[in-house]
Amino acid sequence: MSLRVRMVVLAVGLLGLAAMLVAAFRKLPGFGGSWHPYGQRAVETALGRHTSNVIASINFDQRAFDTMGEQAILFGAVLGTVVILRTTRDERRVEPEPARVPAPLRRYALAVLPVTLLTGLYVVAHGQVSPGGGFQGGVVAATALHLLYIAVDYRALQRVRSVPLFTLADAAGEAGYPLLGLGVLMTGASFLENVLPYGTLGTLSSGGTVPVLNAAIGLEVAAAVVVLLAQFLDQAIVIESEDGEQGAGSVGDGDGRRGEGGAA
Amino acid sequence: MTAAQLLPVLVAGPLLGAAVLVATGRWLPRYVADVFGAVVAGAASALALGVLVATAHRPAAVEWVGGWRPRHGTGVGIVLVGDGIGLGLAAVVSVLVVTVLVYSWRFFDDPPPHQAGAFPALILAFQAAMCGFTLTGDLFNAFVFFELMGVVAYALTGYRVDEARAVQGALTFGFLNSLGGYSLLLGVGLLYAHTGELGLAQLGAHLDAAPDGSGTLVKAAFVLVATGFLVKAAAVPFHFWLPDAHTVAPTPVCMLLSGAMVQLGVYGVARLYWTVFAGSGALPEAAVHRALLALGVLTAVTGALLCWLQRHVKRLLAFSTIAHTGLFLVTLAVLTPEAVAGTALYVLGHAGIKAALFACAGILVDRFGNVDEQELHGRGVRLRPVGVLFTVGGLALAGLPPFGTGLGKALSEEAAGGWLTVLFVAVSAATGGAVLRVAGGVFFGLGSPPAEEDRPHAAGRHRAGGEEQHEDAETTGADEPEETRERVTRAPDTMVVAAAALLAAGLAVGCVPPLWSAVSRAADSFTDHSGYAMAVLYSTGQHLTHSPAPHWSPAGVTLGLLSTVLAACGAWAALRTVPSGVRPRWSLPLRRLHSGHVGDYVACVVAGLTLLAALVW
Repeated sequence: MSLRVRMVVLAVGLLGLAAMLVAAFRKLPGFGGSWHPYGQRAVETALGRHTSNVIASINFDQRAFDTMGEQAILFGAVLGTVVILRTTRDERRVEPEPARVPAPLRRYALAVLPVTLLTGLYVVAHGQVSPGGGFQGGVVAATALHLLYIAVDYRALQRVRSVPLFTLADAAGEAGYPLLGLGVLMTGASFLENVLPYGTLGTLSSGGTVPVLNAAIGLEVAAAVVVLLAQFLDQAIVIESEDGEQGAGSVGDGDGRRGEGGAA
Repeated sequence: MTAAQLLPVLVAGPLLGAAVLVATGRWLPRYVADVFGAVVAGAASALALGVLVATAHRPAAVEWVGGWRPRHGTGVGIVLVGDGIGLGLAAVVSVLVVTVLVYSWRFFDDPPPHQAGAFPALILAFQAAMCGFTLTGDLFNAFVFFELMGVVAYALTGYRVDEARAVQGALTFGFLNSLGGYSLLLGVGLLYAHTGELGLAQLGAHLDAAPDGSGTLVKAAFVLVATGFLVKAAAVPFHFWLPDAHTVAPTPVCMLLSGAMVQLGVYGVARLYWTVFAGSGALPEAAVHRALLALGVLTAVTGALLCWLQRHVKRLLAFSTIAHTGLFLVTLAVLTPEAVAGTALYVLGHAGIKAALFACAGILVDRFGNVDEQELHGRGVRLRPVGVLFTVGGLALAGLPPFGTGLGKALSEEAAGGWLTVLFVAVSAATGGAVLRVAGGVFFGLGSPPAEEDRPHAAGRHRAGGEEQHEDAETTGADEPEETRERVTRAPDTMVVAAAALLAAGLAVGCVPPLWSAVSRAADSFTDHSGYAMAVLYSTGQHLTHSPAPHWSPAGVTLGLLSTVLAACGAWAALRTVPSGVRPRWSLPLRRLHSGHVGDYVACVVAGLTLLAALVW
């Protein structure tokens, strides 16, 4: 298709889509109404299970099967990235060089690192009680590790970031869901049924299996983000094609092979 | 423990297997990882078949995951429904995955470093996604598994990363399926806002009860959700990802995409219609019939034409999948239990036959590093057993009795009737004929070899940057990267055995009457809108009068033989008369449309969405 034809086809499609959506949206329930059938049921159910964070109750209890699929998507995406970004026959790995980092940046990043890690773990641990949980906290915790890259250099990050170990953690977190589900099934209850005592509302031990599944997700997300970023950073910094070209285009300014990857 | 309680294991088991493979991939030798993957998939297949047999004469197994059974018809949980069609598809998927894992024992020379289990792990995750999609009775959950299927399939398609074309094909696949995913999610959102429900049964019950004052919203929701599924099903004009992905994907992946995943898209549309919309006054039966029929005819004709015009064998088979998807949609458009039974048997037979044909094409890749019909002319003579399998596959694809594809075609013709019979015969003959033409030329050296200037290396010089934009808009099959460790000197036993077993399975579908009556019963309950809701929400079964079991009719056998003869004649005529390499000028715009340009494809998908809306309105 020429550009003109493509644009005409696209415009026709978009106009039709817009017309349909406007017509459909006009039939939606009005804004700010009091009719929330699912919301009402979900909140009542969450409180019945002593889980004060309703979102966590939906994610890890009421619709836990969805979350098993979602964490499998993350797992599959990371595995797919490992496969696609692998070092191929016409590529080789070069060791990154040490880099000089401005002292204020170094001090700031090193100070923020433990705080960030702690915040991540806190958000994971309180998933059943307050906003947050394994998905959010896992990302924060994984980010903390990468502050090393900003504060020192890629070699420092490589030293603490053992990809085999984090791959193992990623798989263990992913296995948490099916393992718990199958374990519960063995007791005669339904797959992923909340069989643990519900505990006291608002405490860390409340919610029955919610904190367990939440922790599995936290582990998987943190590990998955580390492995995922490792693949992209390796591609940008460590892997070169045989003719000496950097794997991921124009990343890296030669000075410590830092480039834009560090800002991610 | 009841049979129903085991349904989630069909999803969780393969996911656990994938996790184990990734966790231990660093230390596992390659063959242990391969065997482990096949064992997990095999256990899941045995479980699926076991539950299927155990519940064959009973109401469908219904399992509320986590024990969230609804009270008075409302609840918060997700339900899995192991009815005949859903669970049957899960069993087909699982068995196909086992075959594919056995087939790929000799595949791939460079697994990712320290990840010997990456390929079987991805395949197991793919299996979990497809089983989850067929079993779920919840629309949002279906979206989750739709996405999981996609994410894993993109990675599998782009597996051979050294090839720019592979990455390009995977990207195209990713773009279009993500677009389908957005559409699907938007539709789910509309339905949720309208009803406050996500379960298929609850949505259906709610739409039944509502007055049709909100018809536009219901119609729009159907269009959006169906578009998502139709992208997966590769219905024209949503199909562009399929040929590009199949051209570059490793052969075992093609077997899964063409044999099972694409058909799940068709299943999704049918499941959506009967559980959610069939009882609502807002979406008339006539509108759905019109939409499915129009898209089906368009898909079947486009697929068949382009299938005939290909010389890249895997791309040819990909277009034949599109053509058959069109036939499935045409049959489904009748919206009767007989039509669903016919489609289901057609899909079953097609899964075996198409996977077997891809398996044979994979052997060509490994033997010659090439799947170009003209380059390979006469070179497959020494692979006689493979040639025989490929020929039998072509005959079966054309609808030869007593193959399952023949039975499915016969029942579909009966259900659709009228002038559509011509379409079925013509499309089957064209796709089967194209395969027979390849078989005759490559494996038996029939016809004249191509003239020197038609050699693909001459034509291939216009290929640039992984896109297929030759002046003649042609995709040659030369320079395929090898998939096995070394060029195999003779076809490996596992590969030939897998292909033969798949063909035998395709044959068995047409020869086992108990299977036909089971499929017919499954189709009866599949199309029972209120029965589904009662079974899922209130665990009550209704007595259902069963339609008579399908069987071979004299007309069906005759038409099957007719299309087979037509296919053979077409192949013979093509080998004898048409100089190789010459494609009719009139087909150029159609071939140019498949440019490899993602922008073109996206424009067509968006326009297709509008087309579907216009058909439904």
